[in-house]
Amino acid sequence: MSWELAGWSAEAAGALLAGVGACVTLLYFLALRRRPIEVPFVSLWREALTDERSSRLFARLKRFFSWLLALLFVALVVGALADPRASGHAGRERLVVIAVDVSASMGATDVRGGRMAAAQEEARGVVRGLGATDRAILLAMGAEARPSSAATHDHTELFAAIDRLAPHDVVADLEAAARLAADVTADAAGRELVVISDGVVQHEAEARALLETEGLPARHVRIGQGGDDLAVTALSVRRYPLDPSRNEVLLEVTSASETDATIEIELLGDGETVDVIPLEVPAGGRVRRFFQDLTGVDRALEARLTRTDGTHDALAADDHFFARVPARRRVRVVVVSEDDIYLEAALLLDEYLDVREVAPAAFPPSEPYDVAILDRFVPAAPVDADVIWIDPVPPEGASGPLEITGTIERPFFDRLRREDPLLRHAALSDVNVARALAVRPQPDDVVVASDTRGPLLVRGTRDGHAFVALTFDVRESDLPLRPAFPLLLLDAIESFAPSDAAYRGSVVTGAPALVDLPVTATTATLRGPDGGVPLPIEDGAATVRFERAGFHTIATDAGDVIVAANLPGGSELDLTPHTLELGAAETSTTTIASEAARLPWEWLTVVALALLFVEWITFHRRWTV
Amino acid sequence: MRRALVLGAALSVGLLVLVAWLTRGAVELDALGDHYALGAPRALLVVALVPLALAASARSLADLPRTQLVLSAVARALVIALLALALAQPARTTDRTRTAVVFLVDVSDSITDAALAHATETVREGVAARGENDAFVVTFAGDARRVEVDAEHPETLTLARHADGAATDLAGALRLGLALLPEGRLGRLVVLSDGSETRPSALAELDGLAARHVRVYGALTDDGPPADVAIEDVALPAHVRVGESFAVRVRVRATQPQRARLRLYQNDLLNGLEGTRELDLPRGTTEVEIRSVVHVAGPVTYRATLTPGDPATDRFPENDALERTIVVPGRPRVLYVEGESSGSLPLSRALETAELDVEVRSPRAFPTSLPELSAFDFVVLSDTPAEAISSEQQALIERYVQREGGGFLMAGGAHGFGLGGWEGTRLERILPVRMDPERRRDQPSLALALVIDRSGSMVGEKIELAKEAARATADLLSSDDSLGVIGFDSIPERIVRMQSAGNRVAIQRDIGRLAARGGTSIFPALDMALSDLSVTRARLRHVILLTDGQTQEPGISDLVSLMRGEGITISTVGIGSDVNRALLQEIADAGGGRAYFTSDAHNIPRIFTHETTTAMQNGAVEDYVAAHVVVPAAFLRSVPIDAAPLLRGYVATRMRAAPAEEILRSDLGEPVLARMHVGLGWTLAWTSDVKNRWAVDWARWAAFSTFFGGLVREHMRQRHDEELPLEASMVGETARIVVDAVDENDAFVNDLDPIAHVIGPMGAPEAERVALDVPLVQVAPGRYEGETRLTRFGAYAVTAEHRRDGDVVAQSVGSLVHPYAPEYAALEPNGALLASLATASGGGAYGGPSDVFDARDEHVRAREDVRAPLYLAALALFVIDLLLRRVRLFDRRFRA
Repeated sequence: MSWELAGWSAEAAGALLAGVGACVTLLYFLALRRRPIEVPFVSLWREALTDERSSRLFARLKRFFSWLLALLFVALVVGALADPRASGHAGRERLVVIAVDVSASMGATDVRGGRMAAAQEEARGVVRGLGATDRAILLAMGAEARPSSAATHDHTELFAAIDRLAPHDVVADLEAAARLAADVTADAAGRELVVISDGVVQHEAEARALLETEGLPARHVRIGQGGDDLAVTALSVRRYPLDPSRNEVLLEVTSASETDATIEIELLGDGETVDVIPLEVPAGGRVRRFFQDLTGVDRALEARLTRTDGTHDALAADDHFFARVPARRRVRVVVVSEDDIYLEAALLLDEYLDVREVAPAAFPPSEPYDVAILDRFVPAAPVDADVIWIDPVPPEGASGPLEITGTIERPFFDRLRREDPLLRHAALSDVNVARALAVRPQPDDVVVASDTRGPLLVRGTRDGHAFVALTFDVRESDLPLRPAFPLLLLDAIESFAPSDAAYRGSVVTGAPALVDLPVTATTATLRGPDGGVPLPIEDGAATVRFERAGFHTIATDAGDVIVAANLPGGSELDLTPHTLELGAAETSTTTIASEAARLPWEWLTVVALALLFVEWITFHRRWTV
Repeated sequence: MRRALVLGAALSVGLLVLVAWLTRGAVELDALGDHYALGAPRALLVVALVPLALAASARSLADLPRTQLVLSAVARALVIALLALALAQPARTTDRTRTAVVFLVDVSDSITDAALAHATETVREGVAARGENDAFVVTFAGDARRVEVDAEHPETLTLARHADGAATDLAGALRLGLALLPEGRLGRLVVLSDGSETRPSALAELDGLAARHVRVYGALTDDGPPADVAIEDVALPAHVRVGESFAVRVRVRATQPQRARLRLYQNDLLNGLEGTRELDLPRGTTEVEIRSVVHVAGPVTYRATLTPGDPATDRFPENDALERTIVVPGRPRVLYVEGESSGSLPLSRALETAELDVEVRSPRAFPTSLPELSAFDFVVLSDTPAEAISSEQQALIERYVQREGGGFLMAGGAHGFGLGGWEGTRLERILPVRMDPERRRDQPSLALALVIDRSGSMVGEKIELAKEAARATADLLSSDDSLGVIGFDSIPERIVRMQSAGNRVAIQRDIGRLAARGGTSIFPALDMALSDLSVTRARLRHVILLTDGQTQEPGISDLVSLMRGEGITISTVGIGSDVNRALLQEIADAGGGRAYFTSDAHNIPRIFTHETTTAMQNGAVEDYVAAHVVVPAAFLRSVPIDAAPLLRGYVATRMRAAPAEEILRSDLGEPVLARMHVGLGWTLAWTSDVKNRWAVDWARWAAFSTFFGGLVREHMRQRHDEELPLEASMVGETARIVVDAVDENDAFVNDLDPIAHVIGPMGAPEAERVALDVPLVQVAPGRYEGETRLTRFGAYAVTAEHRRDGDVVAQSVGSLVHPYAPEYAALEPNGALLASLATASGGGAYGGPSDVFDARDEHVRAREDVRAPLYLAALALFVIDLLLRRVRLFDRRFRA
């Protein structure tokens, strides 16, 4: 092992040592003028002289020893000033990248104080072990690798940065850390990557390849011992497509434990406990539950896992899961029909439709509307909304959405585009129809269902608005008597105005997420415990990277947007520490911290202090002079 | 002394508590205009030992004046205090206004050479103007690298492009820039880029920038988009059917007006309907629609390529081609087994017209394993005798229908149903009709002539067994039938004259007269049979010829043809190894009957019995009949059945009880078409034929194809009845596959075990394609998601199987395209991204070096180690302490 001086140079330290040492030596050459002692009795004088003669040699040794102690003290202090550091890379300035895993698994408590504290201690050890000319930069290795400090010699700055590290609800990306480490150290004379991690990371193989390509030496300090973990690996809510007032919930719990576990799942809807579910989870198994036809939860759902069998769960980060209940919006529907009770009944099925009936003469209404259902009615002017046409026979001299060429007697639904969203739920193949209009669709129209003689169900666009047209009078068919009728109508309305009730999964923590904002939003702020972070809006969306699981609120000038963010299900479930294969890198499982608990200058100072005390006491006891 | 030690110890404890209390938190101090802080304040606890040390010197033995002792103690205490303070790591923090600027220069392919030269000049200018500040340079494309700058000669700076120029990782560049910023400097990042990032997302780095108070300044390298023409998208309909014409929409973008030639390939060949089109492209995006049609099911890859009129106007050839794959569902496969190979054309052509894949086989090629049979969705067995399909093969058909849900149609003909000997077979039990038709009052009876060889070679057991067979035959016939027995050697003899089979006693007696003798001459015997049968009134007339000898007689084939012309059919039975098999087979074939060969004479009675049963139970109705709808099957809606031509015959059968359904019925009240659910599948009986005999007029009927096509489609196996919608998309290099499973009852389909298969790039040779299995995980009710990384560009076919308890219950089909590097997709600068970054980080547009090197009113705190003065002071005091102890400075006159 070679040594380097981080403080004063060897020349300066040597000069100081020589100067102060000379002073000390000079002082020890000076004979202390003794205080005259009057001896009244000759015998005592003789005794004193005899004592002096016998102790002269010892006195000389004592003075010499005292001089050495003083010189040693000076040397220690000068040494502390020079700040010597051990270095295996003498003559080369190294840049050491310390990548500390800050993924969720580092929050495990399988080691004393937790994995994060152990990793921080290891990181401090690495800093203390740096050579005098070495610099280090600290990376927080989460979903991305982020520099937590500058590249610096300053241990205090590095220690402060290490103290700030905390686990996040993300999965660590080793490749990202290796890439940034390679980029940062690209021009350094000597370089090294130290990965302090439990080994539960992503892209290990890619990182290994990259390190080998870049020739970046790396070593892994493994953290953790392994422990039992159960996790909520999925919680999601979906509204039923046809009855969006009801929800279905999926809950999944996965075990990485070696023993069966008894747990409770507390479900919180909109912040209130709505259910407590006891579950038996087999060792290493998975339990999945579906809760159907749920109502009453409109915004947020949260699941919290608690062990009730007295066993210890080593990781709390994956014991909860968050889900947003998709919001719904009302669709304003105007119906122009002559006493078609089937139509009315069908539209009543969806409580989120604001249905208004309008007489043909009163169409279009003055109030705004989203969808018009025109049953055997074709207005003279184009309709400024999406339209469902039923048997669209235009009045004399006017034109309807489809060119009518005649009639089709007893048509059948012979050809169906089953993949079309309009037929997602509706079975039309055996519907009986007495008569239909023979129509000629336009080139861009989509014939969704047809008889061999002509279309029966067409969709397309007219005047910038979407339309769906049934080419027959539903009263002259058995369609209104079938479940397909309301399904077809609701699917058509849904196709016009896709509701927010569509499934929206929770955002995965760690990955940049594009959050759709209200179309009129011009400002967005991510609310956090420390205030708001402004978010740029681009194409009606904000890019956010959440590093904490939970509900996050993005405040916009057009209303708040709530986002549920979760750790990728089960990603951190297995807490078994894993040894990272980093090419030719070495792996350390022992604590670096114990090897270099304090820097040399600290030891030198401590020894100098101890020497001061010893010398002080021995001087006054006359053991030294 | 003891009292001093106690006092010192007490003071030390008090001091210890005091220092511990004072250092419980951060220890900071503002003094002399500076701010000081201790890094390890607990080290000050060492000071607490000073009183104890002083107490130890209370009764000093040193021969020094008290004043000197006191001063020495003070000096020593100060030395200890200074070293303790040094151990506490004191640091002075000062406000600094120096800046550190990292220039992040985009060198990706979307940056033109001119823009890069301009950016280089901007960086040189910035570095030159840095003054005492720090300047770093990073270039980035797919990765980010630091560039060494010669601070003295910034004009020598050159910025090279990266090998990975097909990507722009602005976020990575920001992170590297952040890492390069030294402590104690005001951090500034200057981004010189077109703002088109290909990896997400620079905006997500705002948190990290804010944590270190780093501002971003953006400068758009807006040299205008390079001259380029590109294919942005090739859009195909979500679902394409074989034989159905559809539009391929190719979206082409040009950054300036120019001419180009568009080629569209379907797999490796130019699109058949239109392969090439000359385009006059304006600036912007143009959509081109080209019709195409797919003739073969399976994955079909469309590849659009552009050839610019002037190559100089096309900066990126990489974006001149784009492919997309669509999986065209296969046509249903029909196995058509035709007993009379020459008659398969009408039905096979009709089924092919109805877009069904038809494989015609002879009965001998009927599948022998269930997997082989399961490859088909529907099986037609037409005019095939029962003996041509083994009992094992019949069991296969039964399993195929019952368990696999397959459709099976037996069509009639000369060997269909009862005529083919199917009565009592395993297959009959699963058909919707029985083959023992009620004999109608006007149904013609059977006239059967047994022509038995009685030559010398038949002597003994053979002739006796022949007689036994003849007697058994007589017993099988009813009184409406007629039977005659002709024994022949070189001369034929009527052993039993043609008479009603009701005369059983006489017939049995006469048969006993049959005795072996003489040679073998078949022709006269057949001629006699012709004479006998031609005068009977029976509509069905049949001959069974039994012989064991070799004979070659001229005229037999003519005679057989004559008999066939008279409506007389002939079956032959050969015994022994010497028999002329070829002749007997020829007679049977020409005579419309069957040929039997056996070396064991004991089989003769059984063969006769079988043959007689076959002949008498055939129930063929050869008359003009119309088919009338009984149950309106769905497929009949498209068929004007009332306008159907007449059938010229069918095989008489009887309907089974429900659940068998009679769909079409003849004028005579017998089933023409019937069906029955059997297990998961359907069996159907079409009692007429499907050839140019009984159905000759139907075969010419315009709706013949619609009829049988509809029949097959309605009753064929519904493969994976449910198809769940699949969406596949690329996010960066990750393919994301989503399946949404909602059934027709509005219920989410849960607990599926789906696996997606991603194959591609489909434009590459098959051996070079990758095939990935991607398990899909249920993430929500009815929703399954999976991801996989795709590094190669091109089109991929995606299929998914959804299993439950190991069985495939649904499938999904989709495709995705990983077109080309996104760097070549967006050539327009994205100034909004740079502006957003700059604004959100507190920076702004980069207007020049003064924007970033001028600290203005900002400052940053820098930390400075101040241990060295403390150590020096400690050394000085230590020397003074030594002086005080080594030199008597006071009381030099030693006053007593």
